[in-house]
Amino acid sequence: MNRLNQLPTLRIDPSEKLSLKHRGKPFYGVAGDTVATALFANGVRVFARSLKYHRPRGLYSLDGESSNTCMEVDGVPNVRTENMLLKDGMVIKEQNVKGSADRDWLAFIDKLDWMMPAGFYYKTMHKPASMWPVAMKQIRKAAGLGVISADYQMKGQYDEMYINAEVTVIGGGAAGMTAALSAAESGLRVVLLESRPHLGGCFDYRASTISDGTPLYKRARELAGKVEQTDNIRVFKHTSMVGAYNNNLITAFQVGKANDVFAERYIEIRSESVVVATGCIERPLIFDHNERPGVMQVGCAHRLARTYGLLPGSQAVFSVGHDLGLEAVVDLFDLGLKINCVADIREDGQDPELMLALAERKIPVLRGWVAAEAHGSQQVEKVTLSTVEGTVKRQLPCDLLVASAGLTPLTGPFILAGAKMGYDSHTGYFLPTDLPEKMFPAGRITGVNNPASIEASGRLAGLKAAAEADADMSGAVAEAEKSVATLPGPERGCKLVTAPVKGRKSFICFDEDTTIKNIKQAVDMGFDIPELIKRFTSAGTGPGQGGIPGHNLPLFVAKYTASITTPVPTTVRPPLVPTFIATYAGYNHHMFKHTPLHDSQIKEGGIFRNIGVWQRARYFSEDIDCKEEILNVRNNVGILDGSTLGKFRIHGPDALKALQRVYASDMRKVKEGRIKYSAMCNDDGCVIDDGVVVKLGENDYYFTTSSARAGQTVEWIRYHTRFDGWDFALVNLTDAMGVINLSGPNARKVLAKVVDIDLSNEAFPFSGYREFFIKDTIFVRAMRLGFVGELSYELHLPSSYTQAVWDMLKEAGAEFDIRHFGVEAQNVLRMEKGHVILGSESEQRTNLIDLGLGYLWDRKKTDAKTVGAVALHQAEKDAGRLKLVGIRMEDDTRPARDGALIVDNKVRGYVATMRKSFTTGQAVGMALVESQLTDIGTRLEIYEDECKGMRLHAGVVPMPFYDPEGKRMKM
Amino acid sequence: MALTLTCPVCGKRNGYEFRYGGEDKGPRPAEEGLTPKVWCDYVHMNKCTTGVQKEWWVHRDGCGSWFTTYRDTTQNLEVEQPEASE
Repeated sequence: MNRLNQLPTLRIDPSEKLSLKHRGKPFYGVAGDTVATALFANGVRVFARSLKYHRPRGLYSLDGESSNTCMEVDGVPNVRTENMLLKDGMVIKEQNVKGSADRDWLAFIDKLDWMMPAGFYYKTMHKPASMWPVAMKQIRKAAGLGVISADYQMKGQYDEMYINAEVTVIGGGAAGMTAALSAAESGLRVVLLESRPHLGGCFDYRASTISDGTPLYKRARELAGKVEQTDNIRVFKHTSMVGAYNNNLITAFQVGKANDVFAERYIEIRSESVVVATGCIERPLIFDHNERPGVMQVGCAHRLARTYGLLPGSQAVFSVGHDLGLEAVVDLFDLGLKINCVADIREDGQDPELMLALAERKIPVLRGWVAAEAHGSQQVEKVTLSTVEGTVKRQLPCDLLVASAGLTPLTGPFILAGAKMGYDSHTGYFLPTDLPEKMFPAGRITGVNNPASIEASGRLAGLKAAAEADADMSGAVAEAEKSVATLPGPERGCKLVTAPVKGRKSFICFDEDTTIKNIKQAVDMGFDIPELIKRFTSAGTGPGQGGIPGHNLPLFVAKYTASITTPVPTTVRPPLVPTFIATYAGYNHHMFKHTPLHDSQIKEGGIFRNIGVWQRARYFSEDIDCKEEILNVRNNVGILDGSTLGKFRIHGPDALKALQRVYASDMRKVKEGRIKYSAMCNDDGCVIDDGVVVKLGENDYYFTTSSARAGQTVEWIRYHTRFDGWDFALVNLTDAMGVINLSGPNARKVLAKVVDIDLSNEAFPFSGYREFFIKDTIFVRAMRLGFVGELSYELHLPSSYTQAVWDMLKEAGAEFDIRHFGVEAQNVLRMEKGHVILGSESEQRTNLIDLGLGYLWDRKKTDAKTVGAVALHQAEKDAGRLKLVGIRMEDDTRPARDGALIVDNKVRGYVATMRKSFTTGQAVGMALVESQLTDIGTRLEIYEDECKGMRLHAGVVPMPFYDPEGKRMKM
Repeated sequence: MALTLTCPVCGKRNGYEFRYGGEDKGPRPAEEGLTPKVWCDYVHMNKCTTGVQKEWWVHRDGCGSWFTTYRDTTQNLEVEQPEASE
């Protein structure tokens, strides 16, 4: 199809060809085309088949208000091809067709509409009840929209963005741009959202002129130029506003351009005030076969020619109800479209200049006439025009029927912000009866259509919005108000609801194939409120939501029932336009922390797992039982990266008081040079954390928490001291310090080669704490701990030096064949010692006493108001609690799984951790069981999912399983 | 999600940065002589006010402060301190 390539209004670049594939054939479009316009340029007129009746559907509005042009694009179904910009190599498929959109075998269903009155699903398909599953299956095969492949994977990156501004302007037409410019004058930050890929709105494609002779499209480009050059206006194009929430939070999503890193981007804007300059769509004209391909709205026909250079047909009939329609007639005539007749619904009130222009061009105009029926099975071939009353009719040939009853303001943002909507009898619009706080309408949604009025109302709204954001605007606002008052105000809108038809094939909702007859049936059944009729007939519940029926449905219901004097609109909800869930989900962050030893452990063969917020080396071989790693620690020496441990310093006059509050033990007993193991409980006495505390000086302590708990510790301590006004500083050193754990009988020999201090058992005994420097440079806090049950040194040192010391220790340990061990080996080693890991050996209800750690709790320090103490007093007397016990399988070759249930005729507990212990040769572990099952020797039955009714058996045994006297860690 | 809160240190910030810390119930009661019932009420019972309530928040992704503020629970908006509560 030849394009009008020389028009100054074009938004395409005819020099850049793009290819697409449709019906298996290569088609060509140009840069700036949407998928729909590219197909149209290649002669495609039938884009899809309708949901229920398989009626042919084509271009109608060009803004995606209906599912008419929804197609599958590159595997994504239900893409609104009118809104999707063409990219090279796209593959397009038709939806809901058997055969092709042009020749659909299921088109016969259209003749069976008499079988499907409103609500027929609910009324017919359940008698007899066994019929329902069969009927449902068949209906689902024959009806619907696109189908997504079950294994389809979303492609592309979905980003998100959170912006602060003073003023948000929704809509980048003349009013929105003027509002943005006025609000930006005072230096405020302004965000401008435009749903099309370019600014300009309804000025963008119009050649008519304003008073100084400038064509509207030129005026729009001037404004756009100014907007783009204003530093404090942030413009988002191809960005649809989808939600408005309280505090004027606006959400939107942006479609990425070819070179953007994102496919779509979710945007959340916080601003003081909002200008709504969303403009109008057209109110569909309802007549018989009003959605036949070839029938389209004024803006669609006009923009096809002016924006995309495509003449929408060869000979046209217009049936319109507003001056924009007449303007399009004149302009399209001048561009070469043959126009057989113009039917204007209005008897009078037309712009005299436009009437003169029509007369000059000898275009016949029928006032008080309207299209009553479109003829042609695939596409429009002729049209029956009728007087509005239906008294006189005549037929005219045409392949293009431009039909539009009036305009519909896009008031979605107001409704989402909670505004009550009322019917305005002058414009015929539903408008907010009271404006939400700090939200201002601008432009055509106020009912004005005069270009100067549009700009003036934009300026006024922009200034008012700026004033709400604390800019001094009083003088300017008054001036803008004066200028608005001198210009033409809201125009009287066309009130015609339907052409004089019975309505069997007059569609009020295209997406759901709902006709005027269906609405009448629903009303006759007793539904009287549009909101209910919408649900019963499903009008307006398709992908386009209220885009097509939103305005007409309440008008028609009011007219048909006659009892309702004022029409009541239906409610809209976010998202205002269809949005991918992927866009809401946003970017898939892979956010895990790495320890200072991360990279070197990868080189050393570590197999990493995501554990909490960290990635940690879990194994150092393919053997997930870690036999070698474990035995090496027991018999030689191993080295572990413990940097994920929570590390904190607390100091200040009230530091000790704060520790007394949160730790169960009496922290006054922490002595310099010694470590103290203790635990924190919550207010229910349940254990949330354990770790060691060392005293660095008076009211100066260093303490560790479990890796999982590190993130909440500062918040926790501050929360529980928030009423006390205590003076202490709390520093989270978790990321600032690395931790190396050196464990095994040879640990001392290895460490002695690296440090200068006396490491003898007398000089640095078990439970000791020492500070020293390595090579006079690296400050080390060293502790002797027994978590894994062997001679063990834990070195805390600055993150930046951790790698260096790690390398020194490995070099020093080379002669002993030192080797790494990972988190899993540590897990088994500590389990053999009966040491708990909170979260493994405890759950939310497990308190200190249940774990056998009751000795940590100091009952005498009541003045400290210790967190959890009151609940522990209470729980002490409570018999019905799960207690921690050591268990051993009767069959040592078959350890039960972590989490396996302990049962008799009901559940009595569960296995917390259990492994085959290579050290003892036994299958041992820890379990939480009911208190009457805790005696040594008690036989336990264990249930696992795969054991097919056979129970495993274990007995309660004393802990620890390894080195019960604890000699080895004190060596 | 539209909530904003005013941190005493950092000023008005996005609600996503904060964590809720419960209704304001006053300081911890003395441990001596406390009955389980009174304790439980303090820890677990809430007024669930429909309207304006005083509550604790922490600026988790900011300065880390705990502070109290007033929020209208029907609107989920932070509000000025009501005069009657002074």
